Amino acid sequence: MIELIASGLVLASMYGLVAVGISLTWSSVGMLNLAQGFVFTFGGYVAFLFAQYMAKNFSIRDGVLLSLGVVLLGMIGSAIAGLIVGGLAFLPLHDRVNFPVRGLIATLAISIMGTQIFMLIFGPQSKPLPQIFGIKRFKIGDFSIAYGQVGTIVVATVVLLVVTLWMRRSRRGLQMRAMMMNPLGANMVGVSVRTTGMIALAISGALAGLASVLLGQIFFVSPTSGVQPLIVGLIISLAGGLGSMPGTVLAAVLLGFAEAVTARYTEQSFVPFVQFALVIAILTFRPRGLGGVLEDVRE
Amino acid sequence: MSLLEMREVSSGYGTMRVIHGLNFTIDPGERIGLVGLNGHGKTTLISTIVGMTGWQDGSIEFMGQQIGGRRSHGVGRNTPKIVRSGIAIAPQGDAIFPGLTVEENLASGAYTEGAWKTRKQRRDAILEVFPPLRTRLKQSAGTLSGGERRMVSVGRALMADAKLYLVDEPSLGLAPKISIGLVDALCKIDLGDGAMLIAEQNLPLLSGRCDRILGMHAGELKEDVGEAFGDIPPAAEM
Repeated sequence: MIELIASGLVLASMYGLVAVGISLTWSSVGMLNLAQGFVFTFGGYVAFLFAQYMAKNFSIRDGVLLSLGVVLLGMIGSAIAGLIVGGLAFLPLHDRVNFPVRGLIATLAISIMGTQIFMLIFGPQSKPLPQIFGIKRFKIGDFSIAYGQVGTIVVATVVLLVVTLWMRRSRRGLQMRAMMMNPLGANMVGVSVRTTGMIALAISGALAGLASVLLGQIFFVSPTSGVQPLIVGLIISLAGGLGSMPGTVLAAVLLGFAEAVTARYTEQSFVPFVQFALVIAILTFRPRGLGGVLEDVRE
Repeated sequence: MSLLEMREVSSGYGTMRVIHGLNFTIDPGERIGLVGLNGHGKTTLISTIVGMTGWQDGSIEFMGQQIGGRRSHGVGRNTPKIVRSGIAIAPQGDAIFPGLTVEENLASGAYTEGAWKTRKQRRDAILEVFPPLRTRLKQSAGTLSGGERRMVSVGRALMADAKLYLVDEPSLGLAPKISIGLVDALCKIDLGDGAMLIAEQNLPLLSGRCDRILGMHAGELKEDVGEAFGDIPPAAEM
């Protein structure tokens, strides 16, 4: 039972990080970022290159500093990837006609090209990341839980809390929420849509990068490793209500547990069926998603 | 030196020219009324000053800085910069943020570093002007009545540390009593060396309360029409 809860929460943390990023981008920038998978993988490779460099030149293969470095580099790398996506798909297009559709196509193109570029540079093999939380396990009663699982849950929760607080308290956070509600009004109180949009993309990227490094503990980094998180992240952000942080986190927990339970009692291959069925059920009864703030956000 | 100087300014949307070669200055300390019928360019004039029309041409100098010039794309791209240089707008209707609380809406108007640090004092000053907002601070702005929303919108503009306040149709869609109260409040505010431009369809609302009243007709300014309508008593006495 505890193992089930642990694996459900681990999945929820990772999906939550990606989904909150997608949700944040959509509600502030107005662009459904299909390149979030590319952003995700980018951070994973940056972290991998860092670990490889440290191992080769300094023979550092584990330790707190390396773990910290891997996490930070993963987040920074993905934040940069988010800015690249912004520079290619957001800045040149955002004040043109039909930006939502153009943005969708542009980010899809980045996603496809990104996968091929990773394939060219790194090859199709998966690359391992160092185990940032160690490989030890501990026992609660009869159940054994990996430190990695606890670490993943704690780190994801803390980071999401920090982002939520930042959105609530800081001036930039206020500007970003203002832009979510009314981009035109935000423009008139001195909020630059371009600058704030790029900040939103960088933050979404950093969240995806963190998820990438955390997921890299279980599945290795490969050119297509961003696809699954992108798809699940997208449906979670839809089910949670685009733009709502609490709704997205709730949806991530639901889908994470759905996956953990399904994988445990049936087969892994049933997981997507269950997840999509769940999302369809949620959207049938709450068309605006669990958070249901869409009426306050963009049309 | 005048606060704002517009020379040969034209602007419009697509192939349509709304403002026709306008010359216009605002001096420090002035409270100017801009009257005219619907569709004669009052809102476009305000949009032109902050760069939100489809295209524009001509020189607009604000405190010696050029903020106009020729432009045919990038609608609103310069607006944040112009706004930050010291022009606050309370737009037509109300471009408030419905999901944020009244307090957050007001705070979002304090966009300069200095204004943000003193936002509590500034908010209190605005609550003096618009007392009905006092009990609504924690309420989501989307649930307010029309008059209260307008107060939030105007209050948000007043939160700024601005030299020039542009208020577009404060009375639009409001009951006469409420709009008189709103305009009264606007006219009571001490501008110091700043200035305020109030666009309004309803001349009696402004009559006798402004330093100058300009008429706007078909995209051209008719200088000081206040005299011509001198007989019209101010709205509150009607």
